[in-house]
Amino acid sequence: MTIASQLKNTLAGLKGAEATIRLYAEQARHEQSKVAFQEGLVTLSEVVENLAGRLQEIELAEPQYKSL
Amino acid sequence: MPVWVDGLLRSLGLFLLVFVAIRILGKKHPVETSPFHFVVYSVVAVITALLAANFIPNMAFALAALAVWVLLPLLLDYLSLHSKALYQILHGKEAIIIKQGKVMEENLKQARLSGEGLLKGLRAKNVFSVADVEFAVLETSGELSLLLKADKRPVAPHDLEWKVMPQIETQTVILDGKILHDALRRLGLTLQWLQAQLESSGVSLENVFLGQVNSAGELYLDLFDDLIQLPNPSVREMLFATLQQAQAELTKYSLATEDVKSKKQFADDSAKLQQVLEKLRPHLLR
Repeated sequence: MTIASQLKNTLAGLKGAEATIRLYAEQARHEQSKVAFQEGLVTLSEVVENLAGRLQEIELAEPQYKSL
Repeated sequence: MPVWVDGLLRSLGLFLLVFVAIRILGKKHPVETSPFHFVVYSVVAVITALLAANFIPNMAFALAALAVWVLLPLLLDYLSLHSKALYQILHGKEAIIIKQGKVMEENLKQARLSGEGLLKGLRAKNVFSVADVEFAVLETSGELSLLLKADKRPVAPHDLEWKVMPQIETQTVILDGKILHDALRRLGLTLQWLQAQLESSGVSLENVFLGQVNSAGELYLDLFDDLIQLPNPSVREMLFATLQQAQAELTKYSLATEDVKSKKQFADDSAKLQQVLEKLRPHLLR
């Protein structure tokens, strides 16, 4: 696996986790849980953004690894 | 009036009267009340029974007696709310049986509790060794309440310095194949949500014996047809594992890359994910 595809894999996993956490933040019934999920979501979104940015850089620098 | 009609009317009237009287007398279970209340209940029961069976010819006499035995306890209950002394006279005083791990034989004798009785009371609380007990009180209802020694108590999350997810009581939303709309509304959930949940589990409403929504908002289903295996998704555990995996991968990238800027970026992100993991651990795993 190339670095790019590895990054893509991690990114996909993180995005899936983000969606699930968003769901839990929505359906958690205790205020404390809700807040914890929402705060976690904010941090996670930053990480996802950074990773997506890095992936773009790599693809720009080395277009031969660009895949779907 | 034939005798049986008289008996019928008598019993019906008394039934309603006693029903109301017992409701007024309180919510306490007769077994858990003090001996005083037990006597009150017994006398009311006996007078009613005698009256119903026509053993007391004078109706007014019996009703007067009944009124005294219902109203006086009510009055005393009300007064004992305000007076500690009266409460102790009515209900007795609890006796300390074990103090600082030592049996108080004097109090045991005063409470007329034998050693056997004490052991039986302890066993009823799953305590088989007196050495495990720090403090025990014989309540006025005859029950033993006890405090175990600090090192013999069941471990609580607090003892392990664990943070745990706060729990809200589970709500039943489906019972016997019927949707309980009140409960759904209380949870702020809609019918559509429930239908979508059922659809994703692949079961029809008629087949559901019990459906409960837990504190995390997850739906638990019990089916009439026990042969159907419901997927028991440990979504929260899997979510935690996914996050952990991503965090490990970010650390790996940070070690692998040569580029200084992105090295730092990956390391920072990995640390951030670690924070998220710590924050969510009580909510996802416990």
